[in-house]
Amino acid sequence: MKKIGKGIGLSYYGTGYGNGFPDVSRAIIKLLPAGRIGIYCGVTEVGQGAKTSMRQIGAEVLDIDIENIDLVHEDTSLMPDSGTAAATRQTYNTGNAIKIACENMKKELLEKAKIELNLNSTSGLTLEKGEVILSFFPQKRISYKKLSEIYYNDVIIEAKGEFTAQTTEMDKETGQGAPYWPYTFNACAVEVEVDTETGIVNILKSTFAQDAGRAVNPMLLEGQMDGGFAMGLGYTLFEDLNLDKGIMKNNRFSKYLIPTAMDMVDINNIIVEDPEPTAPYGAKGIGEPVTIPIAPAILNAIYDAVGVRIKELPVTPEKLIKHLRGCKENR
Amino acid sequence: MVNISLIVNEKLFEVSVSENLRLIDLLRDELGLIGTKEGCGEGECGACTVIMDGETVNSCLVMAFQANGSNILTIEGMEKEGKIHPIQQAYIDVGAVQCGFCIPGMVLSTKALLDKKPHPSKDEIREGISGNLCRCTGYNKMIYAAEKAIEYMEEGK
Repeated sequence: MKKIGKGIGLSYYGTGYGNGFPDVSRAIIKLLPAGRIGIYCGVTEVGQGAKTSMRQIGAEVLDIDIENIDLVHEDTSLMPDSGTAAATRQTYNTGNAIKIACENMKKELLEKAKIELNLNSTSGLTLEKGEVILSFFPQKRISYKKLSEIYYNDVIIEAKGEFTAQTTEMDKETGQGAPYWPYTFNACAVEVEVDTETGIVNILKSTFAQDAGRAVNPMLLEGQMDGGFAMGLGYTLFEDLNLDKGIMKNNRFSKYLIPTAMDMVDINNIIVEDPEPTAPYGAKGIGEPVTIPIAPAILNAIYDAVGVRIKELPVTPEKLIKHLRGCKENR
Repeated sequence: MVNISLIVNEKLFEVSVSENLRLIDLLRDELGLIGTKEGCGEGECGACTVIMDGETVNSCLVMAFQANGSNILTIEGMEKEGKIHPIQQAYIDVGAVQCGFCIPGMVLSTKALLDKKPHPSKDEIREGISGNLCRCTGYNKMIYAAEKAIEYMEEGK
């Protein structure tokens, strides 16, 4: 018999290294030939979209098209360290470092524009579409390109930025404290169909809401949510290393099953934007948290469908059948 | 060694290959077509997918000599006159690429599907790329990319 059930899972997740551990990101910004902006920063791109979203943050501060920003991030001899692409920390930590560095760069650009435009001060100077402009007398203006022609030989216009996350160590005796900042929150709802004959669980539909502070790039964010859902789904229903005395028995894809396109469903993704005051434009990381509420949501849905509480993953068909029969016997 | 001739991306190659050379090694190491990726090497992940005589194959499971006389399309052959294929454009436009490792195989599986069935249902698209594993994306944007590609091809983009 096929039974339908619904379940929800909620999670909140502390991003960054946390617990008082030094969590530092750094960036250097340079004005390059043709008025391009170079962001030199050890932010690692592993497919999550750092290369896009970090340039977006720089583009926002310096009011320049993202196409005119070069992110140099793959050669450690050219850039400062920005920590690992881990702990869901790059958007918040490195985003902050890049924002600070770009704000410092803005001051440098205004200073040099003051000199080139023969002005008394930088007051009233603003950045607009790749130019420094005197707001109340816009005829006084100089483009980044022009500045780069003047300042790309002996003197280079550059600026640095650094951001250290604020976290506190937990009390070693009591285990109390506030080890992380900021937190991200999410909620996932799923509807499943459980075949009580075969023990197979199918996901029918899902709605998934993720707090991002502010979505720097909604398309990439949705991609992370879909990916996190798929990982959570595999973790809940299929994936089992089957360790035997430390040896991985399921050491190939024919035995260690991960979801295919046929196991996934369309997800109604909801991005919740509640800007975090200490974050770059309010944006927090979501990389790891998007996998977390999936398993509890599916397990709750299975419980709703067939009244069985599974406490060990994955919920393979054999395991579920065993639990279903156990239930009957107990009655 | 065996002498074989095959067409790869509309170009004829006549090569002498060892009997135990796999098609993926011929493509990558001998012909320099490194767009084809090797994932698991046992036909489970689909990263090495190429189209051989209209059918997708795992090039890690096909011996090079078996490709004698065949017509093969790899990801490098998708580009025409300096322009990427509408399927590739759709992958970019909907944000279907994350780490990128599965993408060549994924794009070719999508092409093989659309060549046979220009208007597949969503479930048929899911089935069409189900031999290609992806750990990053959860596949959904790839499904949207296939749908978008169908629009692009009809518009002649």
